[in-house]
Parts: sequence; C-alpha cells; structure tokens
Amino acid sequence: MSYMMYILLFGLVLGLVAIASNPSPYFAALGLVVVAGVGCGVLVGSGGCFLSLILFLIYLGGMLVVFAYSAAMAAEPYPEGWGSWPTLRLMVGYVLGVGVAWGLLGGGWYEEDWGGFDGLVGESVLRGDVVGVSVMYSSGGWLLIGGGWVLLLTLFVVLELTRGLSRGALRAV
Amino acid sequence: MAPLIYSALIISLGLGTTMTFASTHWYLAWMGIEINTLAIIPLMAQNHIPRAIEATTKYFFVQATASATLLFAGISNAFLTGQWNITYTPYTLTSTLITLALAMKIGLAPLHSWMPEVMQGLNLLTGLILSTWQKLAPLYLIYQIQPNNPNIFIALGLMSIIVGGWGGFNQVQLRKILAYSSIAHLGWMILILSFSPPLALLTIIIYILMTFSLFSSFMLTRTTHINSLSTTWAKIPILTISTPLILLSLGGLPPLTGFMPKWMILQELTKQSLCPLATMAALSSLFSLYFYLRLSYAMTLTMPPNNPAGTLPWRLNPQHNTLPLALTTTSTICLLPMTPAIMSLMPF
Repeated sequence: MSYMMYILLFGLVLGLVAIASNPSPYFAALGLVVVAGVGCGVLVGSGGCFLSLILFLIYLGGMLVVFAYSAAMAAEPYPEGWGSWPTLRLMVGYVLGVGVAWGLLGGGWYEEDWGGFDGLVGESVLRGDVVGVSVMYSSGGWLLIGGGWVLLLTLFVVLELTRGLSRGALRAV
Repeated sequence: MAPLIYSALIISLGLGTTMTFASTHWYLAWMGIEINTLAIIPLMAQNHIPRAIEATTKYFFVQATASATLLFAGISNAFLTGQWNITYTPYTLTSTLITLALAMKIGLAPLHSWMPEVMQGLNLLTGLILSTWQKLAPLYLIYQIQPNNPNIFIALGLMSIIVGGWGGFNQVQLRKILAYSSIAHLGWMILILSFSPPLALLTIIIYILMTFSLFSSFMLTRTTHINSLSTTWAKIPILTISTPLILLSLGGLPPLTGFMPKWMILQELTKQSLCPLATMAALSSLFSLYFYLRLSYAMTLTMPPNNPAGTLPWRLNPQHNTLPLALTTTSTICLLPMTPAIMSLMPF
C-alpha cells in the first residue's frame, strides 16, 4: 500500500513539474488533470474517499472543464508542448531541483508512517470528511452561509469584471 | 458602478476583515483575507482603463501568491502541532512563512515592489481603501503569531523604513509617494511589534488617521501629480495651510501628531538596549521627510507659472462632505499633547 502511495506521489510531483515548466495552456491543463487524478488517489489512500470524489467532480468535472473550454477559445496553431526547448529546459531544471531536494530531505522515506485522514479512528463509513460536511450543515451553519456568500461574491466579481465585453475590462489592448 | 454591486462589494470588504478579526482558526482567518482580496478587485477595476486593469492584475497575482503561501503555512502548522489555533505557532519555519506571506500581503520590504505600481493605477478612493482597510486583517494576524525570535520583524521593519524612504525620492506621482509612505510607516509598525504591541496599535491608528487626511486633501482637489498639486493654492487656499502640516506630521516632526508613534517607538527600542537600531530607523525616516518636505514646498512655498485664468477660479459652494477631512486633519495636527491619554488607552 505504501508503494502505491509513493507511486501516486511520484506522479504528483512529476505532474506539477510538467505544469510549472510553462507549456501552452492545453498541455498545462492536461498536467492539471493528471495532478488532480493522482491527488485524488493519494486522498483515497489516506482515507478521504468522499473528498476525493468531490475533488473529481467539482475540480476536474467543473472548473477544469470550464478552463479547457476557455483555453480552446484562445486557440493557437502551434501550441508549445514539452518537446520545445524552453519548456523542456525548465522541466529538466525542475526535475533536477526535485532531485536535489529529495537528496537533502528525503531520508527515511521508507520508515515513516503516513497516518490516516482522521487520526486513528479506524475503518468506518463515516470518515472525517463526510462527518465534516454534515457538521457544516448543523453546528457550522454560519460557515455554510459564509461559504455560500463567498461563492456568490466570486460570481459577482467575475461578472463585474467582464461587464461591457469589449467596452469594459476585456478589451484587446 | 451599479449601486447594488457596489454595496455588495463594500459589505464583503467589511465581512472579510470582520471574519479575520473574529477567527481563531487558520482556515477562517485565511478565508476573511481572501474575501477582502476578491471584493476589492472590481473596485480597483471600476473605471476599466488599461492602467487600472494592469494594477488590478498585479494586485491579484501578488495577493494570490501570498494567500497560497499563508494557507500552506497554516496547514503545515496544523500538521506539525495538531491544532489550528492562530496563536500557537511554536515552530520557526511556519511562523516565518506566515510572517513573510502576510508581509507580502501588506507590502513590506523586500516584498513591496507591487505596491507603488498598483497604487499608481488606482483612483484615490480605492488607493485609500488599499492603504488603510486592506492592511488591518493581515496586521492583526501578524500580531497574533507572536514568534519566539523578533529578528525577522526587525529585519522587515528596518528594510521597509529604508526602502519606503529611499524609494520615494525621485517620485513625482503622488500615489506612488503615498505607497512608499505606507511602506515606511508599516515598517515602523512592524519594527516595534515584537517589543510592544500597544505601540504597534498606536502606530497603525495614527498612520490611518494621517493618511486618510492626506488622501482626502488630494481627493478634494483631485491632484495626482506634483504639477497639479502646486497649482491648488488658487483652488482651495486653506489646503495650502493644512496639507503641509499633514505632510510634516507624516514625516514625524514634533509638535504634530506623527511624532507620537516615532517618539514612543524610539523610547521603547532604547529601553530594550537597541540604540543602533533606533538610530538607524530614525535616520532612515529622514528620507521620507525629504519627499514630504518637497511636496510641502511645491504646494505652499512656491507659486509655479500658471495662466491668469488658473489663478482666480470661481469659489463655488463645496459639494463634498467636509467632516471626514476636518476630523482627520485636526487629529493629524493637534493630538500630540494627548500622548499620555492615548498611551493609557492602548490596552494590549
């Protein structure tokens, strides 16, 4: 099981390197999909299955899909992937940096215990993340209202920033 | 901007700071700061000119980076200590990371580069909100961290005082000068934070009063450049008396109010046997005094060339509300004799 987690984390770091090396947004979004996918796997391995499912649904299925459609509207004929030299050299640099950090800080990787998502509660249907959501609807009601207001505020902010299309903030200058 | 969305954004600005003030959990504190960032973005971009959009974009990038670092530091602290309380940061790594993230949020040196450029792109009212209200929530969090080692606060503070003074030297744009003045005053505030939190509270309150009065004076005549500042003597002559006094108060000259925080801070630093630090801070604030003096010189002590129509404008009834300007100007100029009373009012 630990080896599964380490493979997933390895994929996570490589995916982050792929995004950070600044390719064209299509490929960066692909990197984000990979990172989110293996991140969900890490979450499942740590016991947060509900959170992992929510991440898949909302992040990948909501936000990243919207981002992919927006990136498709800004299409370019020759998108820069990881084969082009500027992106490749950044990627090589980041991999070397990760290697250096691993060499300095990575001692004892095989003897650490990961711990669970919610401590040492044990196996049950009601894990920490599910209970957290239900608490947010009961005694954490104000946080729910606050969270809802923040989401509505984000919508207002985006609508206000894009008001007027080419006469507003989005004009081509 | 449409009134409904405008009030929603202003209410959200209030909500964000209130949430940060009222929270003991890192997540809620971070959430309040994010609400503040989100709510001010359309306010900064409201006139839709490219310079304002550029300022908004820069502000968003910087604040997003700082928020991400803050969240990371809060989560690392929770991982290491097992609890989410803001006041319990025993590990130097997490407390330093939190301090640096919050320093980037408020524009302390060496994380200050965004401040003048962002302030330059905004209108004066939004710049006022940026320099006063947006500083409150991060400063409250910095106050609550209480690290073991004051060295990082001293380093940030002294660097900010020097950079705030030195950076404003060659500026002719008033908003950039106000940005550098903000950097310098926040430097004084964070310098004393680890030694005497009541003095830090005093510094930030006096700074908010002084900068409010200066911004209001500039908003009255709508000046943003030294050139237009120098021709305001004909429009509102009383400002040629009050604005230099406000500027000298910002520079920290007795017998004006701005001397009060600097005086108390130097006294406290001396009591802590940090005399070289006190000397360096006092000498570095002479840089800021130089450009405040230059502004006073341009406004009051010179009469620049102007066409005759500009020297005798119509004196119409003022349409604006003069109460905030009057109150803050009076408190900027006259509050120094009340130092003992004010010091006894600072609780913590």
